[in-house]
Amino acid sequence: MFGKDFFVGRYRRLGWEFREANPRQAIRVNFMNVRGVDVVGRLKGLGFELEEIPFIHGGYWIVRSEFSVGATVEYLLGYYSVQEAAAQVPATLFTDLKGKTVLDACAAPGGKTVQMADLMDNTGVIVALDVNKRRLEALANQLERCRVKNTVVYQLDARHVSKLRVRFDRILLDVPCSGNFATDKDWFKRRTLRDVERNARLQRQILAEAAKVLKDDGEIVYATCSLEPEENELNIDWAVRNLGLETVEIDCYGEEAPTEVFGIKLDDSVRNCRRIWPGETQGFFVCKLIKRR
Amino acid sequence: MKILVKADAINSFAKLFGAELNLDERFVVKRANRYFLLNRELKKLAKACEKWLYVETYLGKVKGGEFHPSFPLLFMIAEKAKNKITVDDKSAWLFVCGRDLFKEGILKIEGSRRKGDYTLVFNRYGECLGYGQIVKDLEKLKGGFAVKNLLDIGDFLRRERPRSSRSLKF
Repeated sequence: MFGKDFFVGRYRRLGWEFREANPRQAIRVNFMNVRGVDVVGRLKGLGFELEEIPFIHGGYWIVRSEFSVGATVEYLLGYYSVQEAAAQVPATLFTDLKGKTVLDACAAPGGKTVQMADLMDNTGVIVALDVNKRRLEALANQLERCRVKNTVVYQLDARHVSKLRVRFDRILLDVPCSGNFATDKDWFKRRTLRDVERNARLQRQILAEAAKVLKDDGEIVYATCSLEPEENELNIDWAVRNLGLETVEIDCYGEEAPTEVFGIKLDDSVRNCRRIWPGETQGFFVCKLIKRR
Repeated sequence: MKILVKADAINSFAKLFGAELNLDERFVVKRANRYFLLNRELKKLAKACEKWLYVETYLGKVKGGEFHPSFPLLFMIAEKAKNKITVDDKSAWLFVCGRDLFKEGILKIEGSRRKGDYTLVFNRYGECLGYGQIVKDLEKLKGGFAVKNLLDIGDFLRRERPRSSRSLKF
């Protein structure tokens, strides 16, 4: 079970007609570093043409640029991060991050870690984990460049986070996933349903561990850049039924998630999740969960 | 967790630029050859599980007896430094690309102008771009090579590939 026709057929059954996608390059201003600095004005002065992303405060699409947006003095000073627009959504879904104890369970290369530090204005604590040491070096570079001061980084598998003996107010699960064709031109050639199911099992293990270390009334934001329901709606349905978590209505870019997938009826609350089909952004799935007392 | 006995090594580095940092040794910690500054809350967390790789503010590392400062440390020093050179846009860009400074691109000199002294380098927005060593007395120098680039923020882009050592014997 693989190939473009197979997966495109599945998307059609989920209500989306396949079309080629061209995600636009985007940046996000790090407000914690730009007090008194007109970073947008400076980029325009360098010849960049920017367009505000309507659904992200401080997010801009690059319409035109004469050189790499990742090689300006402003970038090197941590005034902004290069981050795809859909990937900017998950961190914005938490309520009130300032001063909180936050887990970024699969953090590298650190775009969302920096975004959360920015939303927290460098207050509270972020515990950032990843298993891959090389990717953690990229994360450390991001933290240094963006002057993040509230983060402690561990090389640790998210499935073992309870070893830290810390309980969290907020948890970002930007879990490892199968990805999508919008950011990988060979996606349809490389991926099979078996890959998707393997990733879905790993994601459930991470969800279960996160539920253990989440405080009562704490929030989890679950995100993938996969379009496959096994990694998205079906996992959330499983989490709602098995982990004592509830979905929460979110107001963000994307479409309401289906509550019936390939003939399987899901919990009605799965409709609170959002699916972002590829277009001018990459594909994404986001969901906010809360642990009730 | 090892406490860095001589946080004054870092304070001494700051003094090269005429800055008094006065870092509190209780909040400077070492992980392998890297030094970090942290607050009470993060110190507690770092102590609870000692296998962390990075925490709060990275200050720099010692490698082969040389101290390699981090950019957060340079920015901390920049707030208190006396030795500062401000350069024009073209020189700022060349400096960030790893090039040395020429007298012609210098807009303003504060603090030491003496050969051999260290100075922070700023752009016209007052942003610290890195640091260098004055190679000729700037008072007398009419033009040409003036400041050797020792570290600049372009280093973030160069880290991915092999590079020559840009460190300060210390």
